[in-house]
Parts: sequence; C-alpha cells; structure tokens
Amino acid sequence: MSGSAAQSSQGGIWAVARAIAWRNLRTYVRRPELFVPSLVFPLIFLAAFAGGLSALGGAPGFHFPAGYTAFQFVFVLLQSAMFAGLFTGFSLAFDFESGFARRLMIAAADRRGIALGYALVALTRATVTLTVVTGVALAAGMQVTGDGVEVFGLYGLAALLVFVGYGWAAGIAFRFRSIQAGPLMQTPVFLILFLAPVYVPLGLLKGWIHAVASVNPATFFLEAGRGLIAGRPTQLALAFGLALVLIGLFSLWARLGLRSAERGS
Amino acid sequence: MQNDYERNRIVAASAARGRPAGIEARGLVRDFKGGVRAVAGIDLVVSEGEIYGFLGPNGAGKSTTVLMLSTLLPPSAGHATVAGHDVVREGAAVRRAIGASLQESALDPYLSAREHMLLQGALHGLSRAAARARGEELLERVGLSEAAERKVKGYSGGMKRRLDLALALIHHPRLLFLDEPTTGLDVQSRTALWEEVRRLADEGVTVFLTTQYLEEADVLADRVGIIDRGRIVAEGAPADLKAEIGRPAVEALPEDPAQRERLAGVLARIGELLPAAAGGAVAVRLPAGARDLAEVVRALDAEGISLAELRLHAPTLDDVFLAKTGRSLEGGGDREEAQQEGAAAAGGQTGGSVRA
Repeated sequence: MSGSAAQSSQGGIWAVARAIAWRNLRTYVRRPELFVPSLVFPLIFLAAFAGGLSALGGAPGFHFPAGYTAFQFVFVLLQSAMFAGLFTGFSLAFDFESGFARRLMIAAADRRGIALGYALVALTRATVTLTVVTGVALAAGMQVTGDGVEVFGLYGLAALLVFVGYGWAAGIAFRFRSIQAGPLMQTPVFLILFLAPVYVPLGLLKGWIHAVASVNPATFFLEAGRGLIAGRPTQLALAFGLALVLIGLFSLWARLGLRSAERGS
Repeated sequence: MQNDYERNRIVAASAARGRPAGIEARGLVRDFKGGVRAVAGIDLVVSEGEIYGFLGPNGAGKSTTVLMLSTLLPPSAGHATVAGHDVVREGAAVRRAIGASLQESALDPYLSAREHMLLQGALHGLSRAAARARGEELLERVGLSEAAERKVKGYSGGMKRRLDLALALIHHPRLLFLDEPTTGLDVQSRTALWEEVRRLADEGVTVFLTTQYLEEADVLADRVGIIDRGRIVAEGAPADLKAEIGRPAVEALPEDPAQRERLAGVLARIGELLPAAAGGAVAVRLPAGARDLAEVVRALDAEGISLAELRLHAPTLDDVFLAKTGRSLEGGGDREEAQQEGAAAAGGQTGGSVRA
C-alpha cells in the first residue's frame, strides 16, 4: 500500500485541470447535439448578418475598408468566443446537476483545478468554432485588410472574451449548480451584445440605442476588433484593458462561486 | 460471527497500541437552510482497518455525515478528523487519503469504464501508464474487464456501482466511504460487493459504510453506529448490541398437543419460559444463546417428544433500533409511519424486519 500510495501524489491544480479538459473534450466530440449547434449557429448568424444585411454596407456614412462581411465577421467571431465560454458554464452546471461534479470535488486535492479545467475546455471549444467560422468567412470572400499582427490581435481579443464569458457563467454555475441557471448566464450576455453596434458603426446609431451603445463594453470590443481586421487599430488599450479587468473580476466571481459550492450553500 | 469477534479483537488491540484513528468526530452538526438540522451532534471514532456500519432510516443523517467527513460539506459545528487531518482546515489532505463511492453513481454516460479509470487516475495525479495499469487491475477485480470499452450509459445499476467502487480505489486510499453501496442492487450484485468490501478491509482499508439494510450492517460491519434523527442512538459490535437487547429464544410446537405440559417441563430445565408463545407452542429464553439449541434438541429427543416445529428467534439490529428509539427501522424515514410500526412491533415479538 505504501508504495502505491507514494505513486499517488494527487494532482495539483494543473493535473486536475488537464484531466477535466480531457474528459470534457472527449465527451464533447461524442455528442453531436453539443458540438453541431456550437458550429452551426455562428455560421447562421454570419450568413444572416453578412449576407442578408449586406446592403447596409452601402448606407451613407458607412465606410469600412474591409467590407461588410468582415464588419459582421468580427461581431460573429467575438460573439462565438463569448458563447464558447458561456456554453462551458452550461456544461459545468450540468455536471453539478447530474452529480458528476461530486466526483471532481472529492478527487481534486486543489479544487481551483476544476475551474481552470473548464476554462481550458472553453478555450478549446472556441478554437474549433472560430476556426470553422473563419474558414467559412474566407471561403465566402471576406477581405482582411489588416496585417498578420493585427489579425493575431483580433484572435487574442477573442481568446480574452472566451474567459470573460466563461468566468461569468462559471460563477453562476458554481452558485446554482443546476442547468436551470442557464438563462441567467445567457440573457445578460445577449443583451450586452445586441445593444452594441452590431449592424452599423456606432456613429450611425441614433437616439437611446446610441447612448446605450456608447457605454456598452461590447462596443469597445467590437470597435477594436473591427479596427484590427481592417488594419486601422482603434481603442486597443481600452478594449484589451477592459477585457483583462473583466477577466479579473469574473475570476474572483467564479472563485467565490466555487467556495459557495464547497460550502454547499 | 466468529470473524466479527476476531476483527474486533484486532481493532481493539490496534487502539490499545495508540494507532491514530481512521475517523474521529466530536459534536458534528450540520444545519441546512430553513433551520433543518440534519446532523445534531455526532461523536464517533473509527479505527484503522475497521468496517464501520452507519445504520439508519432514510433521512436520519447518514449521507450528510458522509458528505461532511469526505469534505463535500463543511460542518455547521463540531470537529472531525479523517486519516488524522481536519476535514475543514486540511480538506486537500483528507481527499488525498480517502476514496468515496457516494449514493448517486457520479459517472459520465459517454465515457467507457476504462476512460473513467484514466480520468480518475489523472485527477489523483497518477501518470497515464500508472492509471492504465491500476485501472485494468481494478476493472478485473470488480469483474468489468469485458465491459471496459463499453460506454457507461449501457451499464446496469450493479455495474455502475462496481465501477464506482473501482474508481474510488484507484489511488490506493487508506479510507473508503461507501454511501449505501448496495441500494437498488440485486442479491447477486450485493453479495459480490460485500465480498469486495471484506477483501478491502482484510487489506487494511478502513471502511465507513452507510446502509439502511440491517443485514448488510450485520454481515459486514465490525462495529455499527445506529443513527436516528441526526443522533447516534446505539454503537457497538452487532453481536454486542443484540446481546444487550436479550438472548435468543426458541419456540417449540409439539406434534401432539397433549405433550405441551411435558414439553414445557423439559424446556424449563434449560432456560426461562416465555409467556407469549402462540398456538400451543412453548417458548424459552436460551441462557447461553444459540449454543443451547443443541441441548434443547438432545433433551427433547431423550424425553421422546416429537415436534411439529422448532423456531429460533435471535434479536436483530432492528430490535436494537426499536429498543433505542421506540420505532422499527424499516420505514423509519417516515416518522408517522415509523411510530405506527414501532407501536405495532412493540406489541409483538422479537422477530425483526430485515430489508434485503
């Protein structure tokens, strides 16, 4: 026993995180009902917004050098990133509801590894989705006028938003430990995203929607992302700084949520 | 039963040598929202290598106690150490030392048994090769080697419980929590699981087993703690607890009713006659326990008394529960029903109800 016990040093935070990521991704690819919608919905959004609303690209005052498809692509890309995080929160909530999370809570010496593991899952899921969305957009003729560094920056911003979405959703999942908390995770993100300048630049919005969009954090992410793909970087410090601040806040939110789950309260 | 005594002797000897207890709890309390007190001050000591049966009706506080001892729920008050570590302050160290198979089989229906073993091994920090080797060994041990590649969603309840047990053992825990491990299993699966638990105890693993089955606690446990409404109402070796309640009695029905008086005279030489024998039978308490049964048979044979029926009534753990709480254990989760059953049982004889 002692020799065997010595073998089992019990995983630290990274061992736990890797194990959780391995399991979730294995399950993810075996469940088409999970991964097919996560790929199809962004493509539907891209087709509907970039294709169906492409005439908006010719509206007076609309000057976007990379074209309307690229303009909408940035929205779909950043939305997909945030939703990859959100849907991973759903998975976490489901694991609590099904009882599987108990296995994780009792086996993980360092339970922060649980939160980190699902974060890795979110990032991997997002990578798959963003790759497919990018491939389809390029095949559809999207122009990218930014250089390699700027495009890298765009995907970097998307990666940060994966963690923003995940941190928010994980905090809810740890607290409610039920998939019924799904709308609570999703609704605020939907509202924030669609109260941003989705279809036209901020300057073309009028009235209350302009006022709301002007202070909406999603606007800063979209403006920065669109600037990067078009090769006209703008508001980068604000967008990246804000994303990092939100990650910090939502990490704390998720950590406190994990404590709540540990207390069973 | 001799095995029970032998185990107790070993445990007592271990305690006497001052070995650290596997589990020690003092004044353990857990309150839930709405003022519900699930556990109302539990004191217990479980020695290393012991099988401790935690017996009680549904809702008595068994699972809540396990959740606290396995660090899944912090106590509202009191103190507990598991494998020498405080369950609140040293949760990670406790989790390193224990394995747990809880009521809900926490399995992923889309993973195979082999993948579950790899996952569990990885969570415990085993290398992939070590997890694979240990996983194969355990799957073989619980009889799941042939089904190892099948997804768990196709498993029966018994297979899931066996896999759950194998998963709990992957990191060679010193202490194992089994929360109602055989609930819902058929007799064959239950017996196989009991054998496995005994084998683990023989290997030196401390087992904390909750159950609502009297037979399970009786057959498996070195010591039993009987819990009711969040409190331990009796604790000890099953044989000792039953002995506290009373010695076994034998009830004999003569083939010829005219022989009843002679029968009573013979049995009175062996032990105290009991008044409540029905239907022309004669009942006697056996002073030396079941060992007196042979003497009863020999005496009746010598007197040439033929019997239509001979029944031995041994006290059960349900009798212990009844004596301590005034209610029968069976259905004890529902307090109103339990009170009715308790009253009914109190008016009857010692024969206990065994849920199996």
